[in-house]
Amino acid sequence: MTWTRRKFGRLAGASVAALAARPARSGSRARVVIIGGGIAGATVAKYLATSSARPDVALVEPKQQYTTCFFSNLYLAGIRSLDSLTHSYQALAKRYGINVIHDTATTIDPVAKSVALAAGGKLTYDRAVVAPGIAFKYGTIEGYDEAATQIIPHAWNAGAQTELLRHQLESMEDGGVFVIVAPPNPFRCPPGPYERASLVAYYFKQFKPRSKILILDAKDTFFEQDLFEDGWNRHYPGMIEWLPAQFTGGIKSVDTKTRSIKTGGDTFSASVANIIPAQVAGELAQRTGLADQTGWCPIDPLTFESKLHSAIHVIGDATNAGDMPKSAFVANSQAKACAFAIASALTGSEEMMPHLFNTCFTFLAPNDAVSDAINMKPSGGSIKITDIFFSQVGESDEVRRQAARQADGWYNAFTQDVFG
Amino acid sequence: MPASSLAALAIAAGFFTLNTAAAVAAANERGAELAAMCASCHRLDGHDRGIPSIIGIDRQTFIEAMAAFKSGARSSSIMHAVALQLNDGEIATLAAYLGTRATERKR
Repeated sequence: MTWTRRKFGRLAGASVAALAARPARSGSRARVVIIGGGIAGATVAKYLATSSARPDVALVEPKQQYTTCFFSNLYLAGIRSLDSLTHSYQALAKRYGINVIHDTATTIDPVAKSVALAAGGKLTYDRAVVAPGIAFKYGTIEGYDEAATQIIPHAWNAGAQTELLRHQLESMEDGGVFVIVAPPNPFRCPPGPYERASLVAYYFKQFKPRSKILILDAKDTFFEQDLFEDGWNRHYPGMIEWLPAQFTGGIKSVDTKTRSIKTGGDTFSASVANIIPAQVAGELAQRTGLADQTGWCPIDPLTFESKLHSAIHVIGDATNAGDMPKSAFVANSQAKACAFAIASALTGSEEMMPHLFNTCFTFLAPNDAVSDAINMKPSGGSIKITDIFFSQVGESDEVRRQAARQADGWYNAFTQDVFG
Repeated sequence: MPASSLAALAIAAGFFTLNTAAAVAAANERGAELAAMCASCHRLDGHDRGIPSIIGIDRQTFIEAMAAFKSGARSSSIMHAVALQLNDGEIATLAAYLGTRATERKR
């Protein structure tokens, strides 16, 4: 048997893990700086802090609390409070010793390996993890810029935007038209715009039954379309209309004063509108050269290290990770793979093939949920789907009720995994 | 027995313990990494809110359940997908890890 450096590293790593007095001497601890405290950033912080590498972990996030985008459509429907979707960073700081810094990272110097903070300080790192989420491509719809979001919300980051949309829906008269503009691929949460239509329809059905919902889509098909269309026919017949780009000629411009949306053909007037713009990787990724011409960040499929800057990893919605959809579940799955890869690199132990998985629970109505389950694995320099399963049209009410109960259990366990 | 032999025996015994400890630590770490996948849906603190706890699950029960999910004998598309991701060795490592955690919790 030939002893390779890798095998030696693996054995040495294992012994060190067993023998090292914990915590490691602070002077020699590797430093990892994580930028962005969303699902990806919070997960990678926790799993690194509990890894055998025991690095010094700093998490840079301006907000004091995080409100999840997933399940925020339930808030729009009046079923859940925004408070119940809001999580603090206290457990990460207190239970896991993560240095949570409420500041904004302005630049990253990949040569000096340092991160500059808006308040003036600098953090040096052995490894950095960037999890900036998404930014909106304003300007792809004429008249829709950042100022316009105060009149016509995108509500695609949860918080004030979601509250604004809820207030507008509450003040809308019965018989009004709610227009959702759905974005082109790729975008955060593929079933999200259509789940939003479903749950707002649930709200209308109870309180404003003469109202209509119109979806103007930048696409010609959408995720789990058969499941949604079946659900809409069963729960809200005649209430939701979906118009693909090939029918409207695409979404061209918006007039915020009249809330009218002009397509390639007709102009549609809305009582309440929600424009979900086209998306790219979060602003920091653009500014620090981590995104390529696609607008997304290319990564190594095994370690999530940037293909553009070494020692910087990118995870979550900002990545171009092959077949992986942009979901919170995927962000969490990537974050774990990334944490284990960084821990292996820091200790010299064996890297394991990441287990990459996605499941999304989607509500057609509060007691009617569907799910998907997707296995993915690194292959040919990218990440490919190996297995995919969907709920089926025609499942029994009991199966759907059970999925809705599981969805609630999942939210509790998942947010515990990320923030608890 | 001469003192030197006793010392050698002590060292050998120590070495053996050490290797065993290292092996246990390595298996435990691998178990923790695999259990991280479960933690996206199952709380690993013994509580549950609708998705059953897998902490304290009997090893054999766990292995049989995963086999049933893999074959489709037990119906759940999510658990079917998860089971397809894991080979027999990984399922055994997970079974041992989840069992160990139950023991630690009772202490």
